[in-house]
Amino acid sequence: MVKVTIDTQEYMVDESGTILDAARSNGIDIPTLCHDEQLEPFGSCWLCVVEVEGERRPLVPACATKIREGMVITTKSELILNARRLCLELLLSDHYGDCLPPCQAACPAGVRVKDYIDLIRDGKYQEAVEVIKENNPLPAVCGRVCVRPCELACRRNLVDEPVAIDFLKRFVADLEMGDSLQSTVYSPQSMDGKRVALVGAGPASLSCAYYLAGMGYGCTIFEALPEAGGMLRYGIPEYRLPKDVLDKEIASICGHGVEIRCNTALGRDFSIDSLMNDGFEAVFVGIGAHGSYRLGVDNDGSDGVLSAVDFLRDMGLNKEIKLKGRVAVIGGGNSAIDAARTSLRLGADEVMLVYRRSRAEMPANEIEINEAEHEGIKYHFLTAPVRVIAENNRVQGIECIKMELGEPDASGRRAPVPVQGSEFTIDVETVIAAIGQFPETACLAGEQDVQLGRGKTIVVANNMAVGRAGVFAAGDAVSGASTAIEAIAGGKRAALAIDQYLRGEVSSEKLLKEFNVSKGSLDEVDRGEFEGIEKQARVKMPELEITERLKGFDEVELGLSQTDASLEADRCLKCGCNAVDKCYLRSYGIEYGVSLDKFKDGKVHHYLIDNSNPAILRDPNKCIRCGRCVRICLEIKGIGALGFVNRGFETTIEPTFGKPLAETGCDSCGKCAASCPTGALEFSQV
Amino acid sequence: MQKARIIVGLGSCGIASGGRKVYEQLQQGIASRGLDLTLEETGCIGMCYNEVLVDVVIAAGTTTYKQVTPEMADRILDEHIVEGRIIQEWTVTEEDEKCLNRQQRIVLRNCGKISPESIDEYIEQGGYRAIERVAKEMSPEMVIDEITRSGLRGRGGAGFPTGVKWGFANKSAGDKKYFICNADEGDPGAFMDRSVLEGDPHSVIEGMLIGGYAIGANHGYIYVRAEYPLAIKRLKIAIEQAKARGFIGQNIFESGFSFELEIKEGAGAFVCGEETALIASIEGSRGMPRLRPPFPAISGLYGKPTNINNVETLANIPWIIFNGAGKYASFGTEKSKGTKVFALAGKIQRGGLVEVPMGMSLREVIFDIGGGTSGKHEFKAVQLGGPSGGCIPSSLLDTPVDYDSISQTGAIMGSGGMVVMDNTTCMVDIARFFLNFTQNESCGKCTFCRIGTRRMLEILERIVAGKGVDGDIELLEELAENIRRTSLCGLGQTAPNPVLTTLKYFRDEYEAHIKQRRCSAKACKELISFAIIDERCKGCGLCIKVCPTGAITGEKKKLHVLDADKCVRCGQCVAKCRLEAIIRVDRW
Repeated sequence: MVKVTIDTQEYMVDESGTILDAARSNGIDIPTLCHDEQLEPFGSCWLCVVEVEGERRPLVPACATKIREGMVITTKSELILNARRLCLELLLSDHYGDCLPPCQAACPAGVRVKDYIDLIRDGKYQEAVEVIKENNPLPAVCGRVCVRPCELACRRNLVDEPVAIDFLKRFVADLEMGDSLQSTVYSPQSMDGKRVALVGAGPASLSCAYYLAGMGYGCTIFEALPEAGGMLRYGIPEYRLPKDVLDKEIASICGHGVEIRCNTALGRDFSIDSLMNDGFEAVFVGIGAHGSYRLGVDNDGSDGVLSAVDFLRDMGLNKEIKLKGRVAVIGGGNSAIDAARTSLRLGADEVMLVYRRSRAEMPANEIEINEAEHEGIKYHFLTAPVRVIAENNRVQGIECIKMELGEPDASGRRAPVPVQGSEFTIDVETVIAAIGQFPETACLAGEQDVQLGRGKTIVVANNMAVGRAGVFAAGDAVSGASTAIEAIAGGKRAALAIDQYLRGEVSSEKLLKEFNVSKGSLDEVDRGEFEGIEKQARVKMPELEITERLKGFDEVELGLSQTDASLEADRCLKCGCNAVDKCYLRSYGIEYGVSLDKFKDGKVHHYLIDNSNPAILRDPNKCIRCGRCVRICLEIKGIGALGFVNRGFETTIEPTFGKPLAETGCDSCGKCAASCPTGALEFSQV
Repeated sequence: MQKARIIVGLGSCGIASGGRKVYEQLQQGIASRGLDLTLEETGCIGMCYNEVLVDVVIAAGTTTYKQVTPEMADRILDEHIVEGRIIQEWTVTEEDEKCLNRQQRIVLRNCGKISPESIDEYIEQGGYRAIERVAKEMSPEMVIDEITRSGLRGRGGAGFPTGVKWGFANKSAGDKKYFICNADEGDPGAFMDRSVLEGDPHSVIEGMLIGGYAIGANHGYIYVRAEYPLAIKRLKIAIEQAKARGFIGQNIFESGFSFELEIKEGAGAFVCGEETALIASIEGSRGMPRLRPPFPAISGLYGKPTNINNVETLANIPWIIFNGAGKYASFGTEKSKGTKVFALAGKIQRGGLVEVPMGMSLREVIFDIGGGTSGKHEFKAVQLGGPSGGCIPSSLLDTPVDYDSISQTGAIMGSGGMVVMDNTTCMVDIARFFLNFTQNESCGKCTFCRIGTRRMLEILERIVAGKGVDGDIELLEELAENIRRTSLCGLGQTAPNPVLTTLKYFRDEYEAHIKQRRCSAKACKELISFAIIDERCKGCGLCIKVCPTGAITGEKKKLHVLDADKCVRCGQCVAKCRLEAIIRVDRW
C-alpha cells in the first residue's frame, strides 16, 4: 500500500494500480470511455485526465498512469473540466445518430412516442397510456387536436408516410376513457400541505396542476369562464373535440386532487397578492391568449364583422348564433379554419377563406386545410382585404387586393406584396377575422413584477419564473397563440420549476431541453438507411360522411379499430438509440454540460450500418474509436474480428478486410457490445 | 600516376536534376573518345541547388562543375580532360565554395565525396576503424561514457542524450535486445536522413554496430520508408559488403560480439517515426503509438529491451569514437554539442543540405550560407521542425540554433527541416498546410489528435476562404492547448505548433483575414483578385494564352482587360507576364 493525496484527502491505496484504480477504490469518480477493467490501459479517449503535482505534463491519463507513493492528484479543476468537456464535444461533433427518436425530440412535451407505440403493438394499452401521461395528461384531447410535430419529424416520411402517431394516441386514450382500461391508480405523497394556485383552466394550467398534484401539492385552478378547458373548450369546435371527451379528461385530472373554481376572474375576484395571503405558496399564471387583432381596415367595426375568438367562444358558451348568406374568414391559421368549418355547420350559404399568402405558407394543419376544402370551403389565396364595404354600418362585402410573394421576411416566409390595380370585391354578409391573438393582460394591470414583452406576452426566465418570487407562467400567455401541446409542455416545465422553488432548490438543468444528438431534419439524414424498408400504407382514419358532418357538430374523426391500431403501430421504425440509457458519451455529455453545436459546421462521417450479424448490430456512425471492441476481440477472445483502419480523421474500426461482421471470425459472443461505451455495437433487438 | 576520375552527383537530388543522363552522356563520350579514366558516382554534397554536380579529378587538382546538363558533357571531356583546360564559367563559384567552407561537416563528412556503393572508399576515409577500436579495446560502459561525454543528443527531434539512452538499454536485463535505426524521415521538406543513407550508408551501419555493442544487442533493424528506394538499394549493398568483410555477422573483430542487421521497409505512415509506433509496425501491427512507460529500453520490440536512434545520430557515432568525445563537444553550445544538419528548402536561394555547428544563428544559416530568399521578395519567416515545429519571424533571426533556444521561440529543432518563407507566403495558409499534413497523418487513436486537429483545420480553411468568424482565433487556441496537453505521442503534442507560433508572431494576419477579409501576402485565392496595370501592359497576349478560363481579352498591342467574374485566380498570368503588369489586389 502507498499513501497518496487525491483532491486534498489522503488515502492508502494498492501500489500496483493506476490513478483511476486508486480513485475508484475510494469512491472518487473519474470519467473514462476507453478503459475497460478486463483490458490493459490503452489511453485513447483522454477523458480521464487528472493533474499530478510535479508531473512534466499538465494533464495525465488516470487510466494509464501508475500510482506512486506520495502522489498528489487533483481530479477536478478548471483545466481538467475544460479538457474533458472539449473531449466530449469533439467526440460528439462526429457522432451521427439519434439519442431520442425524432418524434419524441420533436414533441414539445417530450412524450415517449416510440415506447407507447411499442406497447400498443404489444397490446399493452394501459401501459401505453401511462407512458403518455408521464408527459401529457390530456392524451384524448391531444389525440384529436394536436398539430403533430412528431409526425412531421417521423423518419417514416422517407419511406412512405409518417406513422399515424396521433391516431394511435387517441386510440389508447379513448380506450382508457371508455373505462375499458383501469385508470392509473393515484397515490400522491404529501408535500406538507403546500398549496399552489393556478390562474386559468386551459391546457397549461391543467398540465401544471396534474403534475404538481402528482407530487403531492394541493392545487386550485381559478377560471374566469363558466367551465374549464380554456381554448380547448372555447376555441376548438365540437366536431373536432367533443365536449364530453374534454370533460372526461378534465375530470380525470380533478380525480388527482385538483380543484377547479369557475367564474372566478383574476383582477376582478382576486389578485396574486390575495392568493398569497390566502396561503398559496406559489402561483401559476396560465391565462392564455384570448385577445384578437382587428382587421385594421376601414369599416372593420361594422355589424357582421366578428373575431374568430369571440365567435368560437360564443359557440363554446352555447350561445345561439345564426349565420346566413356568405361568410368570409380572413386568416390562414387553425382558428380561421375552425371558424370557417363552424360557419358552414351553422348554415352559411357559402364560406370563403381569404389568405394573403399561398396554400404552402398556411400555418394551419394540412389535414384541416384539406378537410375544410372537402366540406366546401372556398380558398382565396394571395388575397388581402383592403376595406370592409358597409352600408348603414352593416357588412355588404369586402374589397380585396391580389398579392404576390416577395423576399422572405423575418419569419423566413416570403412576404406578400400587393399587386397594384388588382382590387376586386367579394359580396358577403359576415366577415370573421382570424389574423392573430394576444393575451388579455388587463387582469394583470395591478400586479407588480409581471413584465410584458412582445405581443403582450408575459416574460419568463428559463424556468418559467416571472419576475416576482413564487410566480410562474406558461402556455399562450407566454408564447402567444400556440398549440395545445406547447401549453401542456410549458405547464409541466412550470410544475417542475414550482416544485424546485417550493423545495428551496435552485432551478436545475432538468428544466432545459433534453440532451439529444440528432441525425438532423428529414432533409439532412442519409436516405440510404431507408431504402430497403418495405412500403406499407398509413392507416386511414374513419370519418363521418360529408353530408352527415354538415348537419351538425358530430365528431368527424371516428377513431381507429384495434386491428388498424396494431397494423399502424407495426409501421414504427423504432428510431432512436437503443443504448440511450447506458451510453456513457451521453451521460458524460449531460454531466459536463457540453455544447452540441460548438463544431456544427465540421465534417461528420456517415457510414453504412452493418446488421449482417443477427446478434450484434454495428453502427459505426456512433463509434468513438476507443478500441475496446478491437482489444476485447483480440486480447480476450483471440479472434480479432475488428481492427482499426485508415488514418487521421478518417480512422475507423471495421471488421476484418472491411467485410460485414457476419463474414469474419466473429462468434457473436457479444463481449464487444457489452463493452461498447456508446451504441456503436449493440445486441440486436429481437 | 593515378587515372583521372569523373564523379557525378547521383543522390536523389542529382538524379532528379537529370544526373543519370549526364552520367550516360559522359559514359558514351569517354567510350567514343577512348579515354582512360574512371567514371564514378557519389551522393549529395548538399548543394542541391547546383545539381547536377560533376567533379573532375586530375593530377592538377579537383574541379567541380555545377548545373551540368548532358549537352555540357562533351565539352567537359574535350576541353578539361583532353586539353587540360578548365571551363571556368561552369564551375562552382567562390560563393558556393564559401558556403561549403562555413559548414562543419561531421555527419556529412563523406557525402558527395566517396562512392556510397564502395566499402573501400568508406574504409579509406577511416571507416570501420571506430567499431574495430570499440570491439577490441573498449567495454560497453566505456563506449556509453564516451558518447555521453560527447554531449550528443538525439537528432530525431526530441534531443534526448544518446549516451543516457544507451545506458538505460545497457542496464535493462534481457536475453535478447534490439537496436533500431529510425530512418522513417517523414517531415515535408526534410531530407537529411535520405541524403546520409544515399551518400554514406556505411557510417550509419557502423554507428549501429557500435550502439549494438554498447547496449548488448545482437540484432538490428533499419526501419526505412519505402519511398526511399535509392537509400534502400545502397543500404542493401552496404550491408552485403559489410557482411562480406565480417563487420556484420558473428564474432566481429574476434571480440565475441555478433550482430545481424535487417532492413524493414515502412509503408510511409508519418506516425511510424514515433518509436512505439515504429516498433508496432516492425512487429506487423498497425503503426499506433502506445503509452510510455514502459519505455522501449525496458520493453520494446517483441517485448525486449530496445534502443532506437535516428540516422543522423548514428552517423555521428563513428566520428565521435574515432576523434574523441572532447573534439565533438568542442563544437556547439553548452547544452547542444556538435553539429546539426539542416535541409534548407522553400523560398531560399541555395536550397540543399548544410551542416553547421550548434549555436550558429539562423541568420547565418539562412543568409550567409543559404544566400537569403530566392526571389526579390523579403524574408518573412522560417518554419523549423517541419509540421511539428513552428514559424520563426525575422525579428528572431539571431536566435542560435540549439535545442533550447529554438524551443523558446515556440518552434522545435525537430529533425532539421528549414522551410524559408518570403512575404508572398500567407502565414495562416502555411499553418493550414502543416496542420493538414499532421491531421492526415494522425494514427487516429487519441480523441484530440484525431478530431481536434480536424476541427482546427476546418477553422483554418474557413479563415483562408474569408469565412472566418469572431471567436475562431480563441477556438483555435482552446483546441491547440488541449491537443498539446492530451495526446499520447509527439505527433499530437506538437501538431498545433505551426498554428500557435503563427498566432504568436503573425496574429494580425489572422485578424485581417477574419475581420477585413484581407490576406496581406495576397496568397489566399478567395481574398484576392487580379488587376491589369494599364501603363505597364503592352498587349503582348501572353497572359491571354495561359489563362485557362478566357478571363483576359484584348487585341495585340492593345491594352488587355481582365474579367474578374471569369477569373479563377490561378495566378498563371501573373507568373507569365514579363512586365509585372498583372498584380494581385485585395478582393474585398
